[in-house]
Amino acid sequence: MGKIRNAKIADKIMTIVFYCIALLFLVLLLVLALYVIFKGFVDFKLEYLSFNRKGIGNQFFNTLYLVFLSLLISVPLGTLAGIYMSEYAKQGKITNFLRISIETLSSLPSIVVGLFGYLVFIVMTGARWNLMAGALAVSILSIPLITTTTVDAFKSLENGYKNGSLGLGATHWQTIYHVMLPACFPRIMTGIILAAGRGFGEAAALLYTSGMSTDINWSNWNLTAATCALNPFRPGETLSLLIWASRSEAVSANATQIANLSSAVLLIMVFTFSLGARMLSRGINKKAKGC
Amino acid sequence: MRNIFNEQLEQLNTDLIEMGTLIGQVIRMTVEALVDKDIEKAKKVIRFEDQIDRQEKTIENLCLKLLLQQQPVASDFTQISAALKMITDMERIGDQSADISQILISMAGQPYIKKLDHIQAMANETTRMVFKSIDAYVKKDLELAKEVIEQDDIVDSLFLTIKRELIDLINESTENGEQAADLLMIGKYFERIGDHATNIAEWVIYSITGKHDDIDVTIE
Amino acid sequence: MDSKIIINDLNLHYGAFQALKNISMDIKKNEITALIGPSGCGKSTFLKTLNRMNDLEENVKIDGSILLDGIDIYHDMDSILLRQKIGMVFQQPNPFPKSIYDNVAYGPRILGIRKKRELDQIVETSLKQAVIWDEVKDRLHKSALSLSGGQQQRICIARTLAVNPDVILMDEPTSALDPISTSKIEDLAVELKKNYTIVIVTHNMQQATRISDKTVFFLLGETIESGETHEIFSRPKDKRTEDYITGRFG
Repeated sequence: MGKIRNAKIADKIMTIVFYCIALLFLVLLLVLALYVIFKGFVDFKLEYLSFNRKGIGNQFFNTLYLVFLSLLISVPLGTLAGIYMSEYAKQGKITNFLRISIETLSSLPSIVVGLFGYLVFIVMTGARWNLMAGALAVSILSIPLITTTTVDAFKSLENGYKNGSLGLGATHWQTIYHVMLPACFPRIMTGIILAAGRGFGEAAALLYTSGMSTDINWSNWNLTAATCALNPFRPGETLSLLIWASRSEAVSANATQIANLSSAVLLIMVFTFSLGARMLSRGINKKAKGC
Repeated sequence: MRNIFNEQLEQLNTDLIEMGTLIGQVIRMTVEALVDKDIEKAKKVIRFEDQIDRQEKTIENLCLKLLLQQQPVASDFTQISAALKMITDMERIGDQSADISQILISMAGQPYIKKLDHIQAMANETTRMVFKSIDAYVKKDLELAKEVIEQDDIVDSLFLTIKRELIDLINESTENGEQAADLLMIGKYFERIGDHATNIAEWVIYSITGKHDDIDVTIE
Repeated sequence: MDSKIIINDLNLHYGAFQALKNISMDIKKNEITALIGPSGCGKSTFLKTLNRMNDLEENVKIDGSILLDGIDIYHDMDSILLRQKIGMVFQQPNPFPKSIYDNVAYGPRILGIRKKRELDQIVETSLKQAVIWDEVKDRLHKSALSLSGGQQQRICIARTLAVNPDVILMDEPTSALDPISTSKIEDLAVELKKNYTIVIVTHNMQQATRISDKTVFFLLGETIESGETHEIFSRPKDKRTEDYITGRFG
C-alpha cells in the first residue's frame, strides 16, 4: 500500500513540475515579447516607419525580400535534396556520411558562413555587397534544415501510401509528386518556417554579404539599377543588421529608439509569418484532403 | 495443438463404440428371445431402449457442439458428421429390436406355427451385419464395411422367401393368420435392421474416405 | 477454364536466403485462388512476384518464369504496364490522404485521362463495382480517411478497379476488419470474379472455403498441395496440409 501511495505522490509532483516548466516558458515568451514591443513603441514617432533614411521602412522591406530570396533558393534545393536522401539514395556508408554532413552544415557558426559567403559570392565574383549574396549565405544555413525536415517527413509517412500508388502503376516520381509530397506538406512547412525564421534573424552571415547600407529610390523600377527596390544585386541592410549598427555605431541621435523599434518590428514579423504560414498550410491541406 | 478438441474427438469415438456395442448386445438378445422363446430376454431388450435413446442424445449433443465451436474441416469434419448420422441408424436398430421383442411378448405361450429356419437365418445374418458394421468402424476397415453392404442382398432375398412361406401358411388355414402376421412383422423388422446396418456401413466408408454415394459437396 | 497466369519453376532469393522454391502454378481466369499457409512461408512474397512489387526491394533475385496471357512479365513486359493489369489490395486499408473522388481517380489520372466527364464516369463505375457508391455518392469530396476501415478497404478496391485490371491480388484484405465488413468484401470478391481473376492470401480457413475455387497450400517457401478448394478442405492428400487446416500446427 505504501508503495502505491508513494508512486501516486511522485506522479502528482512530476505533473506539477511539468506544468510549472510549461508556465515558465510561456511567461518567458510573454515577458520577452512584451518588453521588446513596449520598449519599441514607447517613443514612437510615425516618421520612424518611413521608407527613407530617417526610418526603418527600407530595412523592413529588405528583410522581407531577403527571406523571400533565401526561401526561393533553399526550398527547392532543400526539398529535392531531402527527397533524394529518403527516396533515391541507397542505404550505406556514403549516404550516412552525407546525412551527417548536411546536419553539421546547419550548425556551423553563422559568422564563418558569412565570411565564406564573402569570399565566394563577393570577392570571387568581384561584386559589391548585394542581397543575393546574403540570400545565398543564409541558404547555406537553411537548406540543411529543410532537407532534414523533408527526410524526416518522408520517413514517417505510412508505407501504405507509397505501396498503394506504385501498385496502381505509377512511377516513383509520380508517387512522390502526387502522393508523398502532398502528404508530407504540413511537416515540410514546419521546416520552411524554421528556415524563414533563420533568415529573419540572421545577422552575422549578412555582415559581409548583403552589406550595411541601403539606398532605395522607390520611383526607380528599372531592375538593373542599383537603387531599384526589386533588384537583388544591390546592397540591402536588414533589420537585424540595423539593430546591430544602431547599437554599436550609434551615429544618429535617436539610434536607440530606432534599434528598439526595429527589434519590436522584427519580433512581430516573425510571429506574423509563423502564424500566417501555418494557417496557409492548414488551408492547403484541407483543400487537398477534401475535409 | 487443439488438445481440448482432440480429447473431445477421442470421447466421441469412445461413446460411439460404446453405443455400437450396446446395439450389438441388444440385437443378440432379441434373436435369442426369438429362438428360445425367452420372454425375460424380450423384456430386457425393451428396457434397454431408454438407455439407447439417451446415448443417442448425448452423442448428438457432442457432435452439434463440436460443429459449432470448432468449425472442423477435413477428417475432423467427416468423423463428426459420420457420427451424427450413424447414431440415428443405431437408435433405429434399438427401436426395431424393441418392437420385435414387443411382438414376442404378445406371442408368449403359443407354439410356433412353423419351423423358423428362414427367420432364424435372417436374424443371424442381420446380427452378423450389425456386428460387422460396428467392427468396421472400430477397426477403420473399408473391406468389412463393403461386405456389410453386400450382405444386405442376402437379407432382402431371405425376407421375400419368408413372406411367401407365410402366405402359404395363411392359405393353408386361417387359424394361422394371427401368428403369420406377427411373424411377417418380425421378418420385416429384421429386414429394416439390415438396412440400418447397411447405412452404418456406408457412413463408416464416408468417415474413412470422405466419399458417400449420396453426397456431393462440389460448389456450383 | 483458361489459364490467366502460369508460373513455372519460380525461385526467389533475398540475398542468401531462399524464400520461394521451385513454385509452379496455374491460375485460371475468372476464378478465386486462395493461398494459405503458416506465417512467413512465402505466400505474400509470392503474391508480390505477380505484380513485380518485389522489384522495389533490394537484394532480390528471381528466376523462373511468370506468364500473363502468355507474356513473360519479367522479361517481356514493362513493370508499370504490368501493375495496371494486375492490381493489388493490401492488408491495411491504405487510401491516400485525399478525397474519395481523388483516390479513385488517381489511377486514371496517372494514365493521362483528364476530362472531367470521363473521370466522373470512371469514378462512379468503380465505386459501384466496389458496392460502395450508395454510401459515398453524396460525399465524394470528403477525405477518404474519414471513412470506417471496411469502407476504406472498399475504396481501395474501387481505386484498383478504376485502372481496369485483369487480375486483382488481395493480401489478407479482411484481416484488419470487423466481421460485417469482412463479409461485405467476401461477397464483393465473389461478384468480381465474374469479370476479373482474383488471387487472395488468407489466414482464415473459413474464408478460403467460403469464397475460393482453388486453394494452394504453402509451407516454407514451397507449394505442398494445390487443388479444388472443397477437395483440399475435405480430403487433403498431404498430411502436412491436413495438419495445417485442422489447426494441428501453424
